[in-house]
Amino acid sequence: MSVIATQQLSKCYGLRRGVDDVDLRVGAGEIFGFLGPNGAGKSTTIRLLLGFLKASSGNATVFGQDCWSDSATIKQEVGYVAGDVRLYPWLTARKALQIVGEIRGRDILSDGLQLADRFRMEPDLPVRRMSRGNRQKVALMMALAHRPKLVVLDEPTSGLDPLMQDTLADCLRELAAAGHTVFFSSHTLSEVESLCDRIAIVRDGQIVVNEQLSRLKARAPRTAVVTFESATVANSVTVPDFITIQSRSNKELQIQITGAAVELTHWAAAQPIIDLSVGPPNLEHLFRQYYKGNAARPVHNAAAGGSAKDAADMEEYVPFPELENS
Amino acid sequence: MKGLLRKIFMEVRWPVLILSIGLALIMALLTELLPKVLGDIDKVFAKLPFVKPLITALLGMDPGEAFTAQMTQAFLWVHPTVLSLIWAHELMYSSRMPAGEIDRGSVDFLLGLPVTRWKLYLSETIGWILSGLFILCVGFSGHWLASAALQPEMRPGAYATFGIITNLMAVYVAVGALAFLVSCNSDRRGRAVGIMFAILLMSFLLNFLAQFWEPAKTVSFLSVMEYYRPAAVIQSGHFPMTDVGILLGAASVFWIAGGVIFQRRSICTV
Ligand SMILES: Nc1ncnc2c1ncn2[C@@H]1O[C@H](COP(=O)(O)OP(=O)(O)O)[C@@H](O)[C@H]1O
Ligand SMILES: [Mg+2]
Repeated sequence: MSVIATQQLSKCYGLRRGVDDVDLRVGAGEIFGFLGPNGAGKSTTIRLLLGFLKASSGNATVFGQDCWSDSATIKQEVGYVAGDVRLYPWLTARKALQIVGEIRGRDILSDGLQLADRFRMEPDLPVRRMSRGNRQKVALMMALAHRPKLVVLDEPTSGLDPLMQDTLADCLRELAAAGHTVFFSSHTLSEVESLCDRIAIVRDGQIVVNEQLSRLKARAPRTAVVTFESATVANSVTVPDFITIQSRSNKELQIQITGAAVELTHWAAAQPIIDLSVGPPNLEHLFRQYYKGNAARPVHNAAAGGSAKDAADMEEYVPFPELENS
Repeated sequence: MKGLLRKIFMEVRWPVLILSIGLALIMALLTELLPKVLGDIDKVFAKLPFVKPLITALLGMDPGEAFTAQMTQAFLWVHPTVLSLIWAHELMYSSRMPAGEIDRGSVDFLLGLPVTRWKLYLSETIGWILSGLFILCVGFSGHWLASAALQPEMRPGAYATFGIITNLMAVYVAVGALAFLVSCNSDRRGRAVGIMFAILLMSFLLNFLAQFWEPAKTVSFLSVMEYYRPAAVIQSGHFPMTDVGILLGAASVFWIAGGVIFQRRSICTV
């Protein structure tokens, strides 16, 4: 059973679109990256999942229970950190652990203080004297101290320094390794790239991509430079369909390919070349296409089963949209 | 629930303590001063004619001839400073959740906890009732200590005093329940307080105008002051059953409506 499942989930704020027809499935043990530019609908989706907002249509479940009507039960096993953490000025990490522990009905003080130590926080500093990053750490500590089955983080790294981002990533990996699920929203690729198993990209309220990161990488464009024996050959050579010529200069041809480089090597073997260098997959480029909305918009929807692996197996491959005309 | 109550206690303890001590001091002072001032009230009425309908409106009866020494104490319970202090606390308290929490953005933290919205609402309600009782009791003790210095015939009977305090508590509950209803419909604390302030002001005005203006009299039943008449309680010596009943009835309707709206609405801090 999926930990998170939504079907045609939509939310309008009056006349403004929040999200539109969102279908998501996240399985247990997955670290799921939810990417999108500002205002795309990431926070709206998360608020729907946590029962802050009532869906205009469609439905959403977490642990198989309805996100709106069973919200309080669901949140027993959920840890949530808001995008813009704002807390009570008098709150300290220790008081927060005490209050949250009483509400959750379990003692989370020692686990929480360990986390506080890991995040290098002073447990008795009140929020009013904290910087934004420190407030974020308090929120993270409250969300992780009870080791929830599902962690929902809305752009959690925006106020954290790189070291703390790494600490957070380690915490999340540990949780995922123990079978817990992480739903992580972000607007930058780099932070999800190293952490997430699978990502979805939301733009203008709609999911435009939902795929394993490894598969996306396989489809990301790469740049290659082919050096020919002579400028004449370089200028007259014709290339097969899967190669796009970006520039020609003297003996060199700069090209772009999509997917694995093996086809390129086959082609190159038959050419009078003296050198070939192939760059790594350029995910960044791929993302920018999606963010800008230049790419076509097929919904690659991976159904997740009991685990992250199942999710990958059940996924249906949809050919990558055209990038040439970008 | 315990954790929620602890959070509320942490947030409101100092304001409530300071306010109740302030109320106690003011009530003690008024207990001493009022008999002296009101002794010469006829001269004041002669000089400033508009004062009489004002006091009549506040007291809920004409202070004219039947203004006994005891009844000067009734004025204590409707004194604008006393009511303002109580309502100031009430408006600040009732607008905390959800309007204040949404305004500040901290509602994200509250709603992320595994509690139903009803439980959030209920814990706020418990804090609101308890803090109201505390403030009234401390305020009353100021009056009670000061009245020891008064001549015995100036002190109102214990039963009448109990009736007045109960009536005032019922006013507190009705106004607060309405403030909760307004707060549940609002995303801005300032707006919720502003609306309630306007309602209370209108309530006073209506009660005042109803003394001499017929159209106001027909709608004066909408004013909360219509159901709070300490002078009448002291004069008759009866418990104000009907007034308390109406106030609590209205309070229940407001409170339930607020809860239902809070339960059903989408909450968004952006
Ligand atoms: N309370 C609100 N009222 C009106 N529109 C809103 C509200 N919250 C969000 N929106 C709109 O919904 C869209 C999605 O917002 P959001 O989910 O916050 O985006 P993200 O978190 O991806 O930056 C935006 O166009 C935003 O303007
Ligand atoms: Mg957001």
